[in-house]
Amino acid sequence: MRRSTRPDSVSGLLRRLPVAVVLAVGVWLVVRPVYNPALAWVTQGVARLTEYPRATVITVEGSYALIGRLDLRAGSGRLKYSLTQVHFNLVPFLALCFALRGALSRGGWRRLGGALAVLAGSHVLNLFLQVKAFFAFNLGPWSAVHYSNFERNLIGGARYFSDIPVTFALPLVLWVSAYPDRVLGILGLGPGEDAGLPHR
Amino acid sequence: MGGVKKILASPAGRFMARYAVILSVGFLILALKPVNDHVVNPYTTFVAHKARIALNLLGENARVDGQVLSSSRFAVQIYNGCNGLEAILVFVAGVLAFPAPWLRRLVGVVLGVLAIGVVNVVRVVSLFYVGILKPQWFSISHVFIWQSLIILLSVVLWLVWVQRYAPVHATR
Repeated sequence: MRRSTRPDSVSGLLRRLPVAVVLAVGVWLVVRPVYNPALAWVTQGVARLTEYPRATVITVEGSYALIGRLDLRAGSGRLKYSLTQVHFNLVPFLALCFALRGALSRGGWRRLGGALAVLAGSHVLNLFLQVKAFFAFNLGPWSAVHYSNFERNLIGGARYFSDIPVTFALPLVLWVSAYPDRVLGILGLGPGEDAGLPHR
Repeated sequence: MGGVKKILASPAGRFMARYAVILSVGFLILALKPVNDHVVNPYTTFVAHKARIALNLLGENARVDGQVLSSSRFAVQIYNGCNGLEAILVFVAGVLAFPAPWLRRLVGVVLGVLAIGVVNVVRVVSLFYVGILKPQWFSISHVFIWQSLIILLSVVLWLVWVQRYAPVHATR
């Protein structure tokens, strides 16, 4: 009983982190064969919602997405894009969650599910922006005809923010947002916190 | 407005708000073209030179041309996103946002940036050798293993700094 009421600490979290990383990698490896086609299918649907004619096609080949258009000649360029690049940040996020003591108890599963939904949304957005950037920049005269300079700048900027800030910072932001009491508690910043002060 | 005031009334709320602002502004500044041309690209070239020195110490006879690091056996281009700046920003935002004396924040930033810089050179050098010895593993090592490790490194360094060097509630 005493164990369950003892506050978590930075040291405890760091001790559990290596095992949590292994667990997170295991989950990622198991989920990946299902997640890759699901991600491609949802992103294709989202891309088709934003265009006319609805010609975006995304197929999965191993851990890559092959992005193209149905209304271009068969020999036209297709983009081969690593889906691992899109969703690798699932691993650091899950590792941080698994390393947090009691993260899955008392409604923790629901919080984890909510955070994972946001992370999955960011993956769809990232792949969507890769599709749009491919169409806007890499299809030669077709790109020039169908995308203005303003649209190209907008897509390029959005892709940068999705590729770098969102991909790298979102795991940490979601971790803190999903478990604010626990994370801020171990930092000594929880509401009325004194039990969770870092142990020296 | 009342909700915002209530959030900002607590140390946790102020920390989270400061963290979000510093991180957003930091990434926004890095995205500006003049900053990219005069800071990010030169820093990436600097990373390439550090990796070249490490590789030459290992007898590789590497050279750098812009952001391309090459030897007679392999070549890699270091892109934005592989230069460690994103991990540095995630770490620095956490340190600057945390309630601690400014001198300790400064020490944290300097030591953390140095540590991330060193690990990033290890990343580039290790990927260079993966490219030479096991090229079929390069993609997974680059995209999956090292990027995940770099994110976790920035969080772990920040947690270690919080635990060891930032006396909690010292300043608000």
